[in-house]
Amino acid sequence: MKKIELKFENEEGKTVTFSLDNPVEPVDPVAVSEAMDAILSENAFFSSGGDLVAKKSARIVERNVSEIEI
Amino acid sequence: MALAERIDSRLQLTFEDGTDPISGDQIYKTKSFNNVKIDATADQLLAVTETLVPLQQLVLYSVKRNDTELITED
Repeated sequence: MKKIELKFENEEGKTVTFSLDNPVEPVDPVAVSEAMDAILSENAFFSSGGDLVAKKSARIVERNVSEIEI
Repeated sequence: MALAERIDSRLQLTFEDGTDPISGDQIYKTKSFNNVKIDATADQLLAVTETLVPLQQLVLYSVKRNDTELITED
């Protein structure tokens, strides 16, 4: 199970994360950066620490689960 | 007289996520984004949706906005 996480900084300098399942791979860093720019410019979201003000980072996260027989 | 005040708003995207192998029915998967500004417009939400959808593989089925209103007595 993979996710893409888009991390933004809010007015208090804290991190706000948007995540989406089933990311397109290989990731196009330009498209990711542009999507984050659009989220910032639309300014349609708030957070407990104010508006989103800057892009911080983006990453693909994969979770591996192994069932243990007990 | 009752007053309704919008106190919470969220963006909900529904994606097509394959079909049920037995019934053949379409399966949907939803993804919600909290913390939408109360005064955000449909145009803003559509613009955000259009930039997020290409980052993932599923086909977008619908875009919804879920608002919560607090109802009080006047």
